[in-house]
Amino acid sequence: MQIELQNTFVELRGEQNPVTAAILDALRRNGATVGAVAPVPDILIVSLPLLPVAGNEPAPHLQAAREAGEAMFARGSGRILFLVSAAAGMPMRRHAEFSVAMAGVLATVRTMAMQLGPAVLVNALGVGAIGEALVAGDAAMLGHASVKRPGTVAEVADTALFFCDPLNSYTTGQLLSVDGGWSAGYGRNF
Amino acid sequence: MQVELNGRVALVTGAAGAIGRAIARRLSDNGASVVIADINREGAEAYAATLPDAMAAVIDISSRDSAEAGVAETLARYGRIDILVNNAGVNSFVHRVNIDSFPLEEWERITRIDLDGLYLMSHAALQPMVKQGEGGRIINIASVVGLAAMRLQSPFVAAKAGIIHMTRSMALELGPQGILTNAIAPGSIMTEGTRSLFYGADGKFAGRTAEFMRHLPLGRPGTPEEIAEAVLFLSSPGAGYINGQVLAVDGGWTAGYMM
Repeated sequence: MQIELQNTFVELRGEQNPVTAAILDALRRNGATVGAVAPVPDILIVSLPLLPVAGNEPAPHLQAAREAGEAMFARGSGRILFLVSAAAGMPMRRHAEFSVAMAGVLATVRTMAMQLGPAVLVNALGVGAIGEALVAGDAAMLGHASVKRPGTVAEVADTALFFCDPLNSYTTGQLLSVDGGWSAGYGRNF
Repeated sequence: MQVELNGRVALVTGAAGAIGRAIARRLSDNGASVVIADINREGAEAYAATLPDAMAAVIDISSRDSAEAGVAETLARYGRIDILVNNAGVNSFVHRVNIDSFPLEEWERITRIDLDGLYLMSHAALQPMVKQGEGGRIINIASVVGLAAMRLQSPFVAAKAGIIHMTRSMALELGPQGILTNAIAPGSIMTEGTRSLFYGADGKFAGRTAEFMRHLPLGRPGTPEEIAEAVLFLSSPGAGYINGQVLAVDGGWTAGYMM
């Protein structure tokens, strides 16, 4: 997939992992300049913790995103993409705190979209079972997807490109999950 | 966005209308062979003639025979179907009344096309798609009113909510075969219909347009091209792990309460 990102400055805040590496690579390949080189980036990627372990608090990342969002709003343009677990849209029984935190991030995305429009578009990409070692939550639970394989980091990166696509200009306040259908419903055969 | 759809065959219903035309062109621009399916023969033929590799198919999606005949025509020309975009739909612009006054005939007309039609078209197109054994994509064009209800258009609201949930069940059923089903929920999109409704000389809602737009974070109606961009992405190889999702392309309409 190709999009036009010449003269676009991208910054990443938050956790770095193979998903964010693939996304930044894809953005670079499409012409973006990645890194904290502009006072206010054109696109901010906010990478939330993908694993439900103690100490992975989203709060500092949300505060940074709000500040960047206000600066983008003052300038009159910008995009913010939150990378969250697919649990943002579907809580997981054994991971109550993580599910609550992710739902809170989604509410932040939606309220920021309302506060910062029309200048700034704010969306979320929900990560499901991606790769073998890297899972956005609980591998056993997220493995119950109707597409009978885990996703790839390239598939997450292409979805991130879609949210950064200049022609995708009427989507804001939305969660789109790359989870093989995990959050669509129950996949039992009776 | 530019993606690789060479060799793919896409059937787009309602493709003589503004949103359908934009979707068909975007898929065609990215290499797909496109079937311009519409009940309006003249519109379908005229639009198909503007694309490098397209055919017109006259399909009334509310008729099983018509849906099946349209799929047979597609197979006769292209031999396969890889992408189905269920875009055709209707609403009532005349009967904007509460459910206690809503005429049965109009209820039946709208739900027959919008909901039954989506089933009939999917059922017909899935026969070859499943047999091909190479996966496929179904993109259902729903509406934000399927996510957040509105007054005075109960059959449209019910049908669009039905489409959204049907998208999820289709995703669960077809995912194991590599056929991915997703929905796009457009908000207010500037088409011939909405232009006359909101902005035309005869637009009885014109006075409310500005007030309505203030309740959208992006403060404007969307364009057919903005819907087409989302359809293009969901049709693309890179969207291979997205299934059963409902993406609102609505300027933030459904993000929250904007009072």
